[in-house]
Amino acid sequence: MRLPPQPGEVIDRHAPLSFSWNGRVYPAFDGDTIASALAAAGVRVFSRSLKYHRKRGLLTADAHDPGCLVQVGDEPNVPAAARHVADGMVVTAQAVWPSLRFDVKAANQLLAPALSAGFYYKTFMRPRWAWPHYERVLRRFAPGGRVPDPASAAPGDASHARYEHRHAHPDVLVVGGGPAGMTAALAAAAAGADVMLVDDQPQLGGHLRWTSAAPGRAELDRLRVAVATGAIETLTQAVVLGHYEGGLVAIVQRGRPADHEGGVPGRARNGHPDVEETLIKARPKQLILAPGLIERPYVVGGNDLPGVMLSTAVRRLINEYAVRPGERAVVLTANDDGRAATDDLERAGVDVAAVLDTRAGVGIRRIRGRGGVRSVECSDSRVIECDLVVTATGWTAPTGLVTMAGGSAAYRPDAARFVPTDLPEGVYATGGLVGDGTLDKLIAHAGAVGRRAADAIRAADGHTPLPDLAPSPHPALFAGPTDGFVDLAEDVTAHDLRTAVAEGYDSIELTKRYTTVTMGRPQGKLEAMNAIAIVAEATGCDIAGTGTTTARPPYVPVSLGALAGPNHHPVRHSPMHDWHVAHDAVPLVAGQWIRPDSYLVDGRPDPAGEVLAVRHAVGIIDVTPLGKFELRGPDVPDLLEFLYVNKWRKLAVGQVRYGVMCADDGVVFDDGVTGRLGEDRYLLTATSSGADAVGEWIERWLQTEHRRWRVHAIPMTDAYASINVAGPRSRELVNRLASDIDMSNEAFGYMRVRIGTVAGVSDCVVWRIGFTGELSYELHVPSGHGLAVWHALLEAGADLGVRPFGVEAQRILRLEKGHIIVGQDTDGLTGAYSAGLEWAIKLDKADFIGKPELSWQRLGDGAPELVGMQSVDPLAVPVEGCQLVADGGRIVGRVTSSRFSPTLGRAISMGFVDAELSRPGTVVAARSPDGRRVHLTVQPQLAHVDPEGARLHG
Amino acid sequence: MRARRGRRPTRYSGLGLVRRGLSGTAWPRAWHEHELRDGYDVVVIGGGVHGLATAYYLATRHDIRSVAVLERGYLGGGGSGRNTAIIRSNYLTPEGVRFYDRSVALYRSLAAELNFNVMFSQRGHLTLAHSDAALRTMRWRAEVNKLSGVSSEVISPAEIGRLVPHLDVSSRPRFPIVGALWHPPGGIIRHDAVVWGYARAADAAGVHLHQNTEVVGIDLDGGRVRGVATTRGTVRADAVVSCTAGWATTVCDLAGVSLPITTYPLQAAVSEPVRPFLDTVVVSGTLHVYVSQTDRGELVFGASVDPFPSYSTRGSLEFLEGVAGHVLDLMPALNRVRVLRQWAGLCDMTPDFSPIMGGTPVDGFYIDVGWGTYGFKAGPVSGESMASLVATGKTPELIEPFALSRFNDGRLVGERGAAAVGH
Amino acid sequence: MIMLPCPRCGERDAAEFGYIGERVARPDVDATTPQEWRAHLYTRRNPAGWADELWLHRAGCGRYLAVSRNTMTGEIGVCRSVADETL
Repeated sequence: MRLPPQPGEVIDRHAPLSFSWNGRVYPAFDGDTIASALAAAGVRVFSRSLKYHRKRGLLTADAHDPGCLVQVGDEPNVPAAARHVADGMVVTAQAVWPSLRFDVKAANQLLAPALSAGFYYKTFMRPRWAWPHYERVLRRFAPGGRVPDPASAAPGDASHARYEHRHAHPDVLVVGGGPAGMTAALAAAAAGADVMLVDDQPQLGGHLRWTSAAPGRAELDRLRVAVATGAIETLTQAVVLGHYEGGLVAIVQRGRPADHEGGVPGRARNGHPDVEETLIKARPKQLILAPGLIERPYVVGGNDLPGVMLSTAVRRLINEYAVRPGERAVVLTANDDGRAATDDLERAGVDVAAVLDTRAGVGIRRIRGRGGVRSVECSDSRVIECDLVVTATGWTAPTGLVTMAGGSAAYRPDAARFVPTDLPEGVYATGGLVGDGTLDKLIAHAGAVGRRAADAIRAADGHTPLPDLAPSPHPALFAGPTDGFVDLAEDVTAHDLRTAVAEGYDSIELTKRYTTVTMGRPQGKLEAMNAIAIVAEATGCDIAGTGTTTARPPYVPVSLGALAGPNHHPVRHSPMHDWHVAHDAVPLVAGQWIRPDSYLVDGRPDPAGEVLAVRHAVGIIDVTPLGKFELRGPDVPDLLEFLYVNKWRKLAVGQVRYGVMCADDGVVFDDGVTGRLGEDRYLLTATSSGADAVGEWIERWLQTEHRRWRVHAIPMTDAYASINVAGPRSRELVNRLASDIDMSNEAFGYMRVRIGTVAGVSDCVVWRIGFTGELSYELHVPSGHGLAVWHALLEAGADLGVRPFGVEAQRILRLEKGHIIVGQDTDGLTGAYSAGLEWAIKLDKADFIGKPELSWQRLGDGAPELVGMQSVDPLAVPVEGCQLVADGGRIVGRVTSSRFSPTLGRAISMGFVDAELSRPGTVVAARSPDGRRVHLTVQPQLAHVDPEGARLHG
Repeated sequence: MRARRGRRPTRYSGLGLVRRGLSGTAWPRAWHEHELRDGYDVVVIGGGVHGLATAYYLATRHDIRSVAVLERGYLGGGGSGRNTAIIRSNYLTPEGVRFYDRSVALYRSLAAELNFNVMFSQRGHLTLAHSDAALRTMRWRAEVNKLSGVSSEVISPAEIGRLVPHLDVSSRPRFPIVGALWHPPGGIIRHDAVVWGYARAADAAGVHLHQNTEVVGIDLDGGRVRGVATTRGTVRADAVVSCTAGWATTVCDLAGVSLPITTYPLQAAVSEPVRPFLDTVVVSGTLHVYVSQTDRGELVFGASVDPFPSYSTRGSLEFLEGVAGHVLDLMPALNRVRVLRQWAGLCDMTPDFSPIMGGTPVDGFYIDVGWGTYGFKAGPVSGESMASLVATGKTPELIEPFALSRFNDGRLVGERGAAAVGH
Repeated sequence: MIMLPCPRCGERDAAEFGYIGERVARPDVDATTPQEWRAHLYTRRNPAGWADELWLHRAGCGRYLAVSRNTMTGEIGVCRSVADETL
């Protein structure tokens, strides 16, 4: 029921909204959470529990509340007590059937005695075939909300949600915007530090937000105004997810319209309205932890009934949302907060039937009710009718960030909570995390901490003394005399924990894994202390000896979208890319590059036509992704001799040589041609996919083993647009454009390189090489002119039948010629001898990479050999990757490359065969994926077309 | 095989659950605590699935019952409790496929054998290809698998879309899905249950399980092993088996055995539960990501190992950012699904992505290490093989390719040819 | 992720760098034995503690760096450009 206006309320009564819950429309005010609006309307049940499908209501009334996860639109698992209502929001209960009120799965409660912790490990084992059926049933009981249907793609749905990332480098990051956090931030800022203050609520204030006492409210107003007008960057609705190596602090902030400040002036930074969430990656110089305390639930029979709430929960509902949480209450308290809650309840018109103070020796034996609280059975056997049980039985210190940041947490038996110890340099704690006391005391400590952090940045000597702040004595009150729920998110009871210990799962980590205690949404923040206390009692250890489970990020669950951010992937395009797109190129994703696989002709890819154009006329292909490095200096020959397995010293200016690189284990690493452009100037090419690795490889040797060599290696891959002009008419075509190069066969032979002007573009490198096996020229054009030269080639070659070709045609052409592709025809263990490169390896050279292994490889025989193969049935193209098998199914090789050759009108292949089968004329059987055999004849050489190389040299 | 000298453990069954539930009778301990004896026939270092399985098979298959498993922390607290519990046998090399296929076979009968439900869910394993090159390697894998009798095939984007409707199989994404390797026998298992099942059965067969017992020295005498020194005293043993992951190097250093291993963290994360929508394990080697959904509805995410070696299991934000981005590349509708927890384990990577199993230059000192990211899948077959080796002195054929000496001989295993993500 | 103090670029996130491997001396290729060479290729100290490593500032100055790093704690001892080391 909604109360009259409260002094600290955060709702805007002038801004009414409406939303739906399970199909019914409910009113709300701006500033309401889903839970507060529903509670104001009298709703008490928000969900069904994980295992027994018991009704659950509000317990903590904040983001950690295990009982009020709901589906909002297509978003699952939304904490209803933290998500604000938006007009028109569609909210439903999760994982119930047919409805929240009548959930058939609640039948599990009847089986509860047999469903103790880990029951599923003890059954469903026989018969073996039945397990998948049991499993299907178990899966029906999976909790949680629904992910959107993949087909839905409406604006505003999950697939279109926007997320951002940003970096921050504040001097001081203060975690927690309560009085201590605000004070620390103010003190640090006053001392000149650049401060960022993070709080999970829409308004700062911490526990003062739900105080109704006038002095507290006055102090809160003072601090809010000071923060708002100070030089502090305040992030509200933002949660610190974790502290990572290198001092990185991850923060996620929910985007909300910036005008929603709850009436607080200032420059709170609440994100862009269109952005759902922002991930902030902060590297603060100093970190102040002031997260406050988390109130601990009490474990006793019936403690999960709707109507059982923490004292902080009722105070939130009353003071922040003006909601009366019940009609008649029993308050269980072990501290003064129970008193404050009682005052608030009475002021809100709740009939407080009894206040049971454990310090006076009274307590709760059991809470009774079905689907909601009906009465309380007291330790003195009184039974008190009520619909609300409020507990104030102690605090859990959220020390997760402390331990993530490298500090520790020590148990204080007198205060029944952990406190931070051994804080590393640059990390501070203040507020409730450190100790209890009056507001003045907290503020004094926090102010000193803030100044200390600021001093550390300026390396100032002024060492601010820290006033004492220690936890007050508190009864060690965790569980009552009857069996209750320890973990409401996972439906784990105290009995489950004791059973697990008795069965041998008797260290806290094993108990956790066996019972799943602390593994639900709160991740231990609410339930870990109680669990540890119960395990400690069961094992006979004390709490300190039992220890805690490791706190792991994220502190609260974080969306995949926020983590991924804008999620852009870098893509590289050649200068001719737009032309390809405009001319119906079929895109091929090749690492970072998008390349034309082929060009559509009448709507269909036609790589065979492209191949024939190259074989009979002339084709051009964009080979810009080819790795290119200019090498300059007098010692380049030394470098080349070292990098490649073959020899380079005699390479004259204007000459080109093909080279193979191995790694030191003798495995083929890359290949390509290198040309000598001038006395001390070479251009080295590498495979497109290996370009980056080759560049790093060259630098590695130059910077480590061979620092005396005078060589500069300059990456040129993006500096040049590269075009290969291939086919019998290629000379004619290039000759029309190359104004200052003598293109005659005599002047510019095979494996030669020239620098000259092409289509008016000077400083082009023109290579006569032939990956395709045709007469061909490769043009490396300063990239800004790439498109112009491409156009010029097409224009000038129109009468010659010039045609662009793509990667697929190039693959066919090179296979026809028997040229290998490193990484396709070789793999991670292929030695250079195996790959048929014996002709290139010169073991009589001085040191080169891979030399020792290659010298031993040469002696060893029996390694598989790479051979050319042709199928006996010319139309049968074996599938790449298929295996060659002997009788009996033994694998004797595999097909690495295979295509139908348009030039020969038959299938051609390349692949590895065991050495004893490598003799030309041997027939081997390739097993197709469908099980049929394709018979292949081993060829005398890798090349199928023009093995003599007449086309290349012509 | 029934333990002859061990106790017979109380049988777990559905009926037992009901009876004990109604009568309020507690189940007995799953395993027991023992004094650390002066000597055992065999000492196994490491209380994870490999060590426990080795001890179990020593006791039950070879009647060697004087066996101690020494665990530094708690049972299954290392890699066994930190992996993402994916089981598969679709490896690239015939020796790899054979070995893991045996493991899958053992896993299939494990619940019945151990009387402990390990919840092996053979829901199928899908490895996506985003390029022709990846597809070619998958065909290679599929064909090798088939020739070894393992079900595995390359399927089209349309078939992928039917198996996992949430995958974006259109040609729009930056990493289009061009095909996949579909491996129906692959799946997921409850990893802790495997550890506990072996521990309970080994205990029942007479094996002593010692938790919180760290090995700090290995006693050698003239090139052979005589025992180990622990934080709880020394133990004599003529056979010592190191079944350690993450710490293989430091343990082998105690015996003076050098390894070709570098230790990298491997990170994983789990989401809040959502209603079941993902029936198979989905892996993308190119995007270095894999995802599956447990019976509890949580999505389990993993990636490749961290970019540099470390013995720290802190976990990083970069991992979460990367894994989230890649999952969304594949399934854009999951933007609003939230990550609940992240963790890390340690992986001992070898140069050829294959384990090291067998004897060492030190007589009586055996190793079952170098498991990279695929150790959990091989738990049962490793235990079976190592037990056989220790008991008979003969190296089982299945693990011959994985000898430590292969590095010295330059005869590496060919798994390096497969995709970089080995899940 | 840990931060590496690049001598050229200053303190940067390790994500900018590439880990190459432990620093190992390359044996004389003409005098080496298979055993020595393969130990060089494959055997690693893999220490749980301080390691001597080679890194590359890939997204920065492109320098290869000699780094001593504690593999347990992530602490960085030395981080200098290999090219600047005395020959």
